Amino acid sequence: MRLLINLAIAIAIAVIVGFGSAALVLDRERMFGAVTRGAWTAWPDTGSADADPYTAAMLARTGEVPLGAGEGLAFSADADDQGSRLNGGCTYRITGQTPPARLWTLTVYDGDGHLMENPAQRTVFHSREVLRHENGSFTIAVSRSAQPGNWLPVTTEDRFRLILRLYDTPLAGGATIGAIVVPAIERVGCP
Amino acid sequence: MSVIRTLLYVIGGLLLGGIIHIAVILLMPDFANRDAWTSLGRFGQDGAFHLLPMSEPGTEPLPYLDPQMAYAACRFSLEDGPIRIKAAMPEDFWSIAVFNRRGSNVYSLNDRSAERADIDLVIATPVQMAQLRENPIAALDQSIVIEVPITRGFALIRSFVADPTLVGRAETMLRAASCSAELPSADAPPPADPGDEKQ
Repeated sequence: MRLLINLAIAIAIAVIVGFGSAALVLDRERMFGAVTRGAWTAWPDTGSADADPYTAAMLARTGEVPLGAGEGLAFSADADDQGSRLNGGCTYRITGQTPPARLWTLTVYDGDGHLMENPAQRTVFHSREVLRHENGSFTIAVSRSAQPGNWLPVTTEDRFRLILRLYDTPLAGGATIGAIVVPAIERVGCP
Repeated sequence: MSVIRTLLYVIGGLLLGGIIHIAVILLMPDFANRDAWTSLGRFGQDGAFHLLPMSEPGTEPLPYLDPQMAYAACRFSLEDGPIRIKAAMPEDFWSIAVFNRRGSNVYSLNDRSAERADIDLVIATPVQMAQLRENPIAALDQSIVIEVPITRGFALIRSFVADPTLVGRAETMLRAASCSAELPSADAPPPADPGDEKQ
Protein backbone atom coordinates (compact mmCIF):
# COMPACT_ATOMS: atom_id res chain seq x y z
CA MET A 1 0.00 0.00 0.00
CA ARG A 2 2.76 2.37 1.00
CA LEU A 3 4.64 1.40 -2.17
CA LEU A 4 1.63 2.35 -4.30
CA ILE A 5 1.29 5.73 -2.58
CA ASN A 6 4.99 6.44 -3.02
CA LEU A 7 4.86 5.42 -6.67
CA ALA A 8 1.85 7.66 -7.22
CA ILE A 9 3.69 10.57 -5.62
CA ALA A 10 6.78 9.97 -7.79
CA ILE A 11 4.76 9.75 -11.01
CA ALA A 12 2.69 12.83 -10.17
CA ILE A 13 5.86 14.83 -9.49
CA ALA A 14 7.46 13.56 -12.70
CA VAL A 15 4.47 14.51 -14.85
CA ILE A 16 3.95 17.92 -13.28
CA VAL A 17 7.64 18.85 -13.30
CA GLY A 18 8.31 17.42 -16.78
CA PHE A 19 5.38 18.79 -18.75
CA GLY A 20 5.02 21.92 -16.63
CA SER A 21 8.63 23.02 -17.07
CA ALA A 22 8.53 22.27 -20.82
CA ALA A 23 5.35 24.35 -21.26
CA LEU A 24 6.76 27.15 -19.14
CA VAL A 25 9.98 27.32 -21.15
CA LEU A 26 8.21 27.24 -24.52
CA ASP A 27 5.75 29.98 -23.57
CA ARG A 28 8.54 32.35 -22.68
CA GLU A 29 10.87 34.08 -25.08
CA ARG A 30 13.70 32.03 -26.48
CA MET A 31 16.40 31.75 -23.85
CA PHE A 32 19.61 30.99 -25.69
CA GLY A 33 21.65 33.14 -28.01
CA ALA A 34 19.71 36.38 -27.55
CA VAL A 35 21.52 39.54 -28.65
CA THR A 36 20.03 42.67 -27.11
CA ARG A 37 20.90 46.19 -28.23
CA GLY A 38 18.81 49.01 -26.79
CA ALA A 39 15.17 47.95 -26.83
CA TRP A 40 15.79 45.41 -29.59
CA THR A 41 16.52 41.68 -29.33
CA ALA A 42 17.61 39.28 -32.07
CA TRP A 43 18.32 35.54 -32.08
CA PRO A 44 21.00 35.09 -34.77
CA ASP A 45 21.28 31.31 -34.29
CA THR A 46 17.59 30.79 -35.09
CA GLY A 47 18.24 31.00 -38.81
CA SER A 48 21.07 28.50 -38.90
CA ALA A 49 21.51 24.77 -38.55
CA ASP A 50 22.96 25.46 -35.08
CA ALA A 51 19.58 26.40 -33.59
CA ASP A 52 19.19 24.87 -30.12
CA PRO A 53 16.45 22.27 -29.37
CA TYR A 54 14.38 24.83 -27.45
CA THR A 55 14.30 27.14 -30.46
CA ALA A 56 13.36 24.25 -32.75
CA ALA A 57 10.54 23.24 -30.39
CA MET A 58 9.27 26.81 -30.16
CA LEU A 59 9.31 27.29 -33.93
CA ALA A 60 7.42 24.02 -34.37
CA ARG A 61 4.81 25.14 -31.88
CA THR A 62 4.20 28.59 -33.36
CA GLY A 63 4.72 27.67 -37.02
CA GLU A 64 7.06 30.60 -37.52
CA VAL A 65 9.63 30.48 -40.30
CA PRO A 66 12.84 32.21 -39.19
CA LEU A 67 14.98 34.36 -41.48
CA GLY A 68 17.92 32.30 -42.70
CA ALA A 69 21.40 33.57 -41.90
CA GLY A 70 21.95 34.21 -45.62
CA GLU A 71 18.77 36.26 -45.86
CA GLY A 72 18.95 38.64 -42.93
CA LEU A 73 18.33 39.16 -39.25
CA ALA A 74 15.18 40.19 -37.37
CA PHE A 75 15.18 42.34 -34.23
CA SER A 76 12.01 42.54 -32.17
CA ALA A 77 10.98 44.99 -29.45
CA ASP A 78 8.22 44.55 -26.87
CA ALA A 79 9.27 47.46 -24.67
CA ASP A 80 10.55 51.02 -25.05
CA ASP A 81 14.02 52.27 -24.10
CA GLN A 82 12.88 52.72 -20.49
CA GLY A 83 11.83 49.08 -20.32
CA SER A 84 8.07 49.71 -20.17
CA ARG A 85 5.90 47.45 -22.31
CA LEU A 86 4.84 48.95 -25.65
CA ASN A 87 1.18 49.86 -25.25
CA GLY A 88 -1.27 50.94 -27.94
CA GLY A 89 -2.66 53.59 -25.61
CA CYS A 90 0.60 55.55 -25.85
CA THR A 91 2.44 57.41 -28.61
CA TYR A 92 6.02 56.41 -29.43
CA ARG A 93 8.78 57.91 -31.50
CA ILE A 94 11.28 55.59 -33.19
CA THR A 95 14.30 57.63 -34.16
CA GLY A 96 17.84 57.26 -35.39
CA GLN A 97 19.61 54.86 -37.69
CA THR A 98 19.36 51.14 -38.33
CA PRO A 99 22.31 48.73 -38.32
CA PRO A 100 23.92 48.28 -41.75
CA ALA A 101 21.71 46.42 -44.22
CA ARG A 102 20.88 46.67 -47.90
CA LEU A 103 17.20 46.83 -47.05
CA TRP A 104 15.13 46.96 -43.90
CA THR A 105 11.46 46.86 -42.96
CA LEU A 106 9.78 47.88 -39.72
CA THR A 107 6.49 46.10 -39.02
CA VAL A 108 4.04 46.45 -36.14
CA TYR A 109 2.06 43.48 -34.77
CA ASP A 110 -0.54 43.27 -32.01
CA GLY A 111 0.09 41.33 -28.80
CA ASP A 112 -0.94 38.06 -30.47
CA GLY A 113 1.44 38.56 -33.38
CA HIS A 114 -1.10 39.62 -35.98
CA LEU A 115 -1.10 42.58 -38.34
CA MET A 116 -3.65 45.25 -37.42
CA GLU A 117 -6.33 46.46 -39.82
CA ASN A 118 -6.31 50.27 -40.00
CA PRO A 119 -7.79 53.01 -42.22
CA ALA A 120 -4.35 54.14 -43.40
CA GLN A 121 -3.70 50.56 -44.62
CA ARG A 122 -0.17 50.67 -43.29
CA THR A 123 1.44 47.92 -41.25
CA VAL A 124 5.05 48.38 -42.36
CA PHE A 125 7.68 50.91 -43.44
CA HIS A 126 10.66 50.00 -45.57
CA SER A 127 14.01 51.71 -45.88
CA ARG A 128 13.38 53.16 -49.33
CA GLU A 129 10.06 54.84 -48.63
CA VAL A 130 10.65 56.22 -45.14
CA LEU A 131 10.99 60.03 -45.04
CA ARG A 132 14.42 60.96 -43.70
CA HIS A 133 16.04 63.97 -42.07
CA GLU A 134 18.89 65.71 -43.84
CA ASN A 135 21.48 63.61 -41.99
CA GLY A 136 19.89 60.37 -43.15
CA SER A 137 18.24 59.48 -39.85
CA PHE A 138 14.49 59.01 -39.60
CA THR A 139 11.61 59.40 -37.18
CA ILE A 140 8.62 57.05 -37.24
CA ALA A 141 5.65 57.81 -34.98
CA VAL A 142 3.72 54.79 -33.65
CA SER A 143 0.30 55.70 -32.26
CA ARG A 144 -3.43 55.24 -32.59
CA SER A 145 -4.02 58.82 -33.78
CA ALA A 146 -2.69 60.12 -37.10
CA GLN A 147 0.75 61.79 -36.94
CA PRO A 148 2.58 64.02 -39.43
CA GLY A 149 5.53 62.47 -41.26
CA ASN A 150 6.09 58.71 -40.98
CA TRP A 151 3.13 57.29 -39.10
CA LEU A 152 2.84 53.60 -38.22
CA PRO A 153 -0.71 53.12 -36.90
CA VAL A 154 -1.74 50.73 -34.14
CA THR A 155 -5.36 49.95 -33.37
CA THR A 156 -4.94 48.08 -30.12
CA GLU A 157 -5.10 49.65 -26.68
CA ASP A 158 -3.06 46.75 -25.36
CA ARG A 159 0.53 45.64 -25.88
CA PHE A 160 2.08 45.48 -29.34
CA ARG A 161 5.36 44.37 -30.88
CA LEU A 162 7.75 45.95 -33.37
CA ILE A 163 9.93 43.86 -35.68
CA LEU A 164 12.86 45.39 -37.53
CA ARG A 165 14.04 43.06 -40.29
CA LEU A 166 17.47 43.68 -41.78
CA TYR A 167 17.91 42.05 -45.18
CA ASP A 168 21.35 41.22 -46.54
CA THR A 169 23.15 42.47 -43.46
CA PRO A 170 26.72 41.76 -42.34
CA LEU A 171 25.25 41.06 -38.86
CA ALA A 172 23.70 37.79 -40.04
CA GLY A 173 25.79 34.75 -40.83
CA GLY A 174 27.73 34.02 -37.70
CA ALA A 175 29.77 37.19 -37.15
CA THR A 176 29.85 38.45 -33.57
CA ILE A 177 27.49 41.38 -33.17
CA GLY A 178 29.40 44.18 -31.45
CA ALA A 179 28.33 47.71 -30.71
CA ILE A 180 25.76 48.63 -33.34
CA VAL A 181 23.41 51.56 -33.70
CA VAL A 182 19.76 50.67 -33.26
CA PRO A 183 16.80 53.03 -33.43
CA ALA A 184 15.67 54.54 -30.12
CA ILE A 185 12.11 53.82 -28.98
CA GLU A 186 10.90 56.76 -26.91
CA ARG A 187 7.50 57.10 -25.29
CA VAL A 188 6.13 60.55 -26.10
CA GLY A 189 3.00 60.33 -23.99
CA CYS A 190 -0.11 58.41 -23.10
CA PRO A 191 -3.12 60.59 -23.84
CA MET B 1 12.44 5.34 7.87
CA SER B 2 9.35 5.60 5.76
CA VAL B 3 9.92 9.37 5.42
CA ILE B 4 13.32 8.69 3.88
CA ARG B 5 11.77 6.16 1.53
CA THR B 6 9.14 8.69 0.42
CA LEU B 7 11.90 11.26 -0.07
CA LEU B 8 13.71 8.83 -2.37
CA TYR B 9 10.54 8.45 -4.43
CA VAL B 10 10.24 12.25 -4.62
CA ILE B 11 13.83 12.49 -5.91
CA GLY B 12 13.09 9.72 -8.38
CA GLY B 13 10.02 11.64 -9.51
CA LEU B 14 12.08 14.79 -10.07
CA LEU B 15 14.65 12.87 -12.13
CA LEU B 16 11.91 11.31 -14.21
CA GLY B 17 10.41 14.79 -14.62
CA GLY B 18 13.71 15.97 -16.06
CA ILE B 19 13.69 13.13 -18.57
CA ILE B 20 10.11 13.97 -19.56
CA HIS B 21 11.12 17.64 -20.00
CA ILE B 22 13.95 16.73 -22.38
CA ALA B 23 11.76 14.26 -24.29
CA VAL B 24 8.97 16.83 -24.75
CA ILE B 25 11.38 19.48 -26.06
CA LEU B 26 13.14 17.09 -28.45
CA LEU B 27 9.98 15.43 -29.76
CA MET B 28 7.88 18.59 -30.06
CA PRO B 29 8.87 19.29 -33.70
CA ASP B 30 7.77 15.78 -34.71
CA PHE B 31 4.36 16.01 -33.09
CA ALA B 32 3.45 19.68 -33.58
CA ASN B 33 0.44 20.17 -35.84
CA ARG B 34 0.69 23.91 -36.39
CA ASP B 35 4.30 23.91 -37.55
CA ALA B 36 5.38 25.52 -40.81
CA TRP B 37 5.58 22.21 -42.74
CA THR B 38 1.99 21.28 -41.83
CA SER B 39 0.71 24.81 -42.50
CA LEU B 40 2.32 24.86 -45.95
CA GLY B 41 0.53 21.61 -46.84
CA ARG B 42 -2.70 23.61 -47.09
CA PHE B 43 -1.51 25.47 -50.18
CA GLY B 44 -1.25 22.50 -52.52
CA GLN B 45 0.54 19.31 -53.32
CA ASP B 46 4.21 18.65 -52.60
CA GLY B 47 6.92 19.04 -55.23
CA ALA B 48 5.69 22.38 -56.58
CA PHE B 49 5.92 26.00 -55.54
CA HIS B 50 2.73 27.58 -54.27
CA LEU B 51 2.26 31.30 -54.02
CA LEU B 52 1.35 32.41 -50.49
CA PRO B 53 -1.18 35.23 -50.25
CA MET B 54 0.39 38.58 -49.31
CA SER B 55 0.45 39.08 -45.54
CA GLU B 56 -2.32 41.53 -44.72
CA PRO B 57 -4.41 42.02 -41.61
CA GLY B 58 -6.66 38.96 -41.47
CA THR B 59 -4.80 36.93 -44.11
CA GLU B 60 -1.45 35.84 -42.79
CA PRO B 61 -0.43 32.51 -44.35
CA LEU B 62 2.23 31.92 -41.66
CA PRO B 63 2.86 33.85 -38.45
CA TYR B 64 5.29 36.77 -38.56
CA LEU B 65 5.85 36.99 -42.31
CA ASP B 66 7.00 40.35 -43.64
CA PRO B 67 4.05 42.15 -45.32
CA GLN B 68 6.54 43.82 -47.65
CA MET B 69 7.54 40.50 -49.24
CA ALA B 70 5.85 38.13 -51.66
CA TYR B 71 6.40 34.46 -50.76
CA ALA B 72 6.31 31.10 -52.52
CA ALA B 73 6.90 27.79 -50.78
CA CYS B 74 7.54 24.22 -51.91
CA ARG B 75 7.54 21.06 -49.80
CA PHE B 76 9.93 18.55 -51.32
CA SER B 77 11.31 15.08 -50.84
CA LEU B 78 14.77 13.90 -51.89
CA GLU B 79 13.84 10.22 -51.72
CA ASP B 80 13.60 9.91 -55.51
CA GLY B 81 16.77 11.86 -56.24
CA PRO B 82 18.06 15.41 -56.06
CA ILE B 83 15.67 18.23 -56.90
CA ARG B 84 16.33 21.36 -58.91
CA ILE B 85 14.71 24.71 -58.17
CA LYS B 86 14.53 27.21 -61.00
CA ALA B 87 12.93 30.63 -60.90
CA ALA B 88 13.31 33.92 -62.74
CA MET B 89 13.27 36.71 -60.18
CA PRO B 90 12.59 40.46 -60.22
CA GLU B 91 15.66 42.70 -60.15
CA ASP B 92 15.40 43.60 -56.52
CA PHE B 93 16.09 41.91 -53.21
CA TRP B 94 15.09 38.25 -53.07
CA SER B 95 16.22 35.33 -50.99
CA ILE B 96 15.61 31.62 -50.71
CA ALA B 97 15.85 29.49 -47.59
CA VAL B 98 15.76 25.69 -47.23
CA PHE B 99 14.31 24.14 -44.07
CA ASN B 100 14.16 20.58 -42.82
CA ARG B 101 10.90 18.80 -42.01
CA ARG B 102 11.08 20.15 -38.45
CA GLY B 103 11.30 23.76 -39.60
CA SER B 104 14.99 24.40 -38.87
CA ASN B 105 16.94 26.34 -41.45
CA VAL B 106 19.63 24.34 -43.28
CA TYR B 107 20.58 26.72 -46.10
CA SER B 108 19.87 30.24 -47.30
CA LEU B 109 21.12 32.80 -49.77
CA ASN B 110 20.06 36.11 -51.27
CA ASP B 111 20.33 37.69 -54.71
CA ARG B 112 23.61 39.43 -53.85
CA SER B 113 25.33 36.32 -52.48
CA ALA B 114 24.02 34.24 -55.40
CA GLU B 115 25.61 36.78 -57.76
CA ARG B 116 22.90 36.21 -60.32
CA ALA B 117 19.41 37.41 -61.09
CA ASP B 118 17.66 34.04 -61.18
CA ILE B 119 17.47 30.99 -58.94
CA ASP B 120 19.00 27.71 -60.11
CA LEU B 121 19.53 25.55 -57.06
CA VAL B 122 20.11 21.80 -56.92
CA ILE B 123 19.45 20.20 -53.55
CA ALA B 124 20.98 16.77 -52.86
CA THR B 125 21.58 14.47 -49.92
CA PRO B 126 25.22 13.56 -49.11
CA VAL B 127 24.82 10.21 -50.91
CA GLN B 128 23.33 11.84 -54.02
CA MET B 129 26.09 14.43 -53.86
CA ALA B 130 28.73 11.71 -53.97
CA GLN B 131 27.01 10.23 -57.03
CA LEU B 132 26.91 13.65 -58.70
CA ARG B 133 30.65 13.98 -58.09
CA GLU B 134 31.32 10.58 -59.65
CA ASN B 135 29.31 11.38 -62.77
CA PRO B 136 29.46 15.16 -63.05
CA ILE B 137 26.84 16.73 -65.22
CA ALA B 138 28.28 19.52 -67.32
CA ALA B 139 24.94 21.27 -67.59
CA LEU B 140 24.87 21.64 -63.82
CA ASP B 141 27.83 24.01 -63.97
CA GLN B 142 25.30 26.78 -64.06
CA SER B 143 23.52 25.62 -60.93
CA ILE B 144 24.32 26.19 -57.30
CA VAL B 145 24.51 22.66 -55.89
CA ILE B 146 23.99 22.25 -52.17
CA GLU B 147 24.29 19.19 -49.96
CA VAL B 148 21.81 18.98 -47.11
CA PRO B 149 21.48 16.22 -44.48
CA ILE B 150 17.71 15.91 -44.95
CA THR B 151 15.30 13.81 -47.00
CA ARG B 152 12.21 15.97 -46.62
CA GLY B 153 11.88 19.70 -46.20
CA PHE B 154 10.62 22.89 -47.74
CA ALA B 155 12.03 25.84 -49.61
CA LEU B 156 10.73 29.37 -49.16
CA ILE B 157 11.42 32.15 -51.66
CA ARG B 158 10.84 35.73 -50.61
CA SER B 159 10.78 38.61 -53.04
CA PHE B 160 10.78 42.26 -51.96
CA VAL B 161 7.77 44.24 -53.15
CA ALA B 162 8.66 47.95 -52.86
CA ASP B 163 5.12 49.16 -53.46
CA PRO B 164 1.68 47.66 -54.14
CA THR B 165 1.87 48.25 -57.91
CA LEU B 166 4.71 45.68 -58.08
CA VAL B 167 2.83 42.88 -56.33
CA GLY B 168 1.42 41.52 -59.59
CA ARG B 169 4.82 41.26 -61.23
CA ALA B 170 6.40 39.54 -58.23
CA GLU B 171 3.50 37.10 -57.92
CA THR B 172 3.64 36.21 -61.61
CA MET B 173 7.32 35.36 -61.33
CA LEU B 174 6.87 33.37 -58.12
CA ARG B 175 3.96 31.47 -59.64
CA ALA B 176 6.26 30.37 -62.45
CA ALA B 177 8.93 29.10 -60.04
CA SER B 178 9.71 25.41 -60.49
CA CYS B 179 10.51 23.05 -57.64
CA SER B 180 11.01 19.96 -59.82
CA ALA B 181 12.97 21.28 -62.78
CA GLU B 182 14.57 18.58 -64.89
CA LEU B 183 18.06 17.50 -63.98
CA PRO B 184 20.08 17.04 -67.15
CA SER B 185 21.24 13.46 -67.59
CA ALA B 186 24.85 12.58 -66.93
CA ASP B 187 27.16 13.12 -69.85
CA ALA B 188 30.63 11.75 -70.47
CA PRO B 189 33.43 12.49 -70.32
CA PRO B 190 33.16 14.90 -67.40
CA PRO B 191 34.67 18.20 -68.47
CA ALA B 192 34.47 19.91 -65.09
CA ASP B 193 33.33 19.59 -61.52
CA PRO B 194 29.80 20.71 -60.87
CA GLY B 195 29.57 24.09 -59.22
CA ASP B 196 29.69 23.15 -55.61
CA GLU B 197 28.80 25.74 -53.05
CA LYS B 198 28.14 25.21 -49.45
CA GLN B 199 27.19 27.66 -46.77
